[in-house]
Amino acid sequence: MLIDANVALGPWPFAPLPERTAPQLVAYLKSHGVNRALVSHLGAIFLPEPMPANRALFAAVRRTPTLLPVPVINPALATWREHLAACIAAAPIRAVKIIPAYHNYSLRLPALAPFVAAVNAAGLRLIVATRLEDERHRYHALAVKGLPVAQLAAFLARFPATHFVCSGLYKPEIETLAATHENFSADIAFAEWLNTLALLTQKIPARRLLLGTNTPLFDTRAQVDKLRLARLPAKTLALIGSANAARLFGL
Amino acid sequence: MRIIDAHTHPVFMHDGATPAAARRLVAHGRAHGIVKMVALGDVLVHGRLPSAAQCRRINDETAQLKRWHPDYFIGFCCLNPTLGARAVEREVERCVTQHGFRGIKLEISNNARDACMGAVMAAARRWNLIVLQHTWSQTNIHQRRFHSDPADTAWLARRHPDVSVIMAHLTGCGYRGVLEAKGLPNLFVDTSGAFPEAEILDFAVQELGAERILYGSDLPIRETSVTVGRVLGAHLTAAQRHLILHDNAAKLFRL
Ligand SMILES: [Zn+2]
Repeated sequence: MLIDANVALGPWPFAPLPERTAPQLVAYLKSHGVNRALVSHLGAIFLPEPMPANRALFAAVRRTPTLLPVPVINPALATWREHLAACIAAAPIRAVKIIPAYHNYSLRLPALAPFVAAVNAAGLRLIVATRLEDERHRYHALAVKGLPVAQLAAFLARFPATHFVCSGLYKPEIETLAATHENFSADIAFAEWLNTLALLTQKIPARRLLLGTNTPLFDTRAQVDKLRLARLPAKTLALIGSANAARLFGL
Repeated sequence: MRIIDAHTHPVFMHDGATPAAARRLVAHGRAHGIVKMVALGDVLVHGRLPSAAQCRRINDETAQLKRWHPDYFIGFCCLNPTLGARAVEREVERCVTQHGFRGIKLEISNNARDACMGAVMAAARRWNLIVLQHTWSQTNIHQRRFHSDPADTAWLARRHPDVSVIMAHLTGCGYRGVLEAKGLPNLFVDTSGAFPEAEILDFAVQELGAERILYGSDLPIRETSVTVGRVLGAHLTAAQRHLILHDNAAKLFRL
């Protein structure tokens, strides 16, 4: 039983990745031992406003209950309140995602205060996606870099009563943030070193780590094996593999 | 499953140089099916331009690992080609005759096209050594003065068809790098480099053939379960997987 907190549907323009339908994605994830997944739509990253991609996501997963849709909201747009309301009305969502690096705003954006309040009021978890790829390998004409960890630290300090899920952090970034902030959990999609999880869990409690594969950009088997083959107590593996996601997203 | 890891740094930034750490690493490798590791040395511990004495110290550490675990580690000689032909020849001869090293590891002292590589390739030819060149796409890095792009490493292999060259870091070389490596039977690509980006290994097998690809992890920077998992996760036949994980390296290193 695994829950993957970092999966996407839709096209990625910069690599010849398989574009799966929702049922194909369910079968594919299942072949790697993943039973449930939080899924966003990659189109939401590149469109001028994310709602067409969010609508495509809701339509795609309507008949696949093990895929939990996570719409992307851009709080730098004037209509973020309407977008959030439309997503809540469209599907039984548990979380929303922001992708500041791709949507061209910093975490100092003033609108984030009412946005975080609205997300909290709706009983949703906010996922802050910091990166989707190794920036050294980005398309030559793109200038997008990962979200600076100092910005994220200031953001966590600004909303101490909210517990965020951060996706895409590198291992040293998780460790740096964990030293000073308790109000976040992190997926392990971009955390890697020899004995990753044994080292990470010395710096952050296992109850704040989540399996995230970054499928389809990363190889799912490799990412799942990082957890499956880690030399840790079964209880720890169960926390990272599913129990934390179940708790954080109310599954 | 028997695996040969063609790209490891058992000692990294001084970590791993003790008998206990080496024992732990061998046990870790064996638990993942890795029967041998190519030890490339602690190549950046003294920066990108190590002195002759610093190269000797790095290579002596690799030799020490080999003495502790002679059946497990294959030594590669770390060089700074910019030190000149005499220094290169002397260190290669020392590493081969005293330590039994099987290859040369080149990092980012210079670009693979630089004139100083002449002495390195001559030494490789003389001692029948494999040359592993650190390689990364310079599209977004802009360090080509001393950092080899796949086009540079391919140039090196084309210029020296009688020397086997490993272009390190498939993922760092990217799709363009795979295409640069086409048509060069003496050029091999290792599967290391960055995160397990989906599909690029499939692309490399399609464009180059499985015979030209070697499993490499770049541990401890990467996680063994991930680097092996990305080979197991690619759409390959069992025969292709065996070639990449073991047989190509066994043939290349004459094991
Ligand atoms: Zn390396």
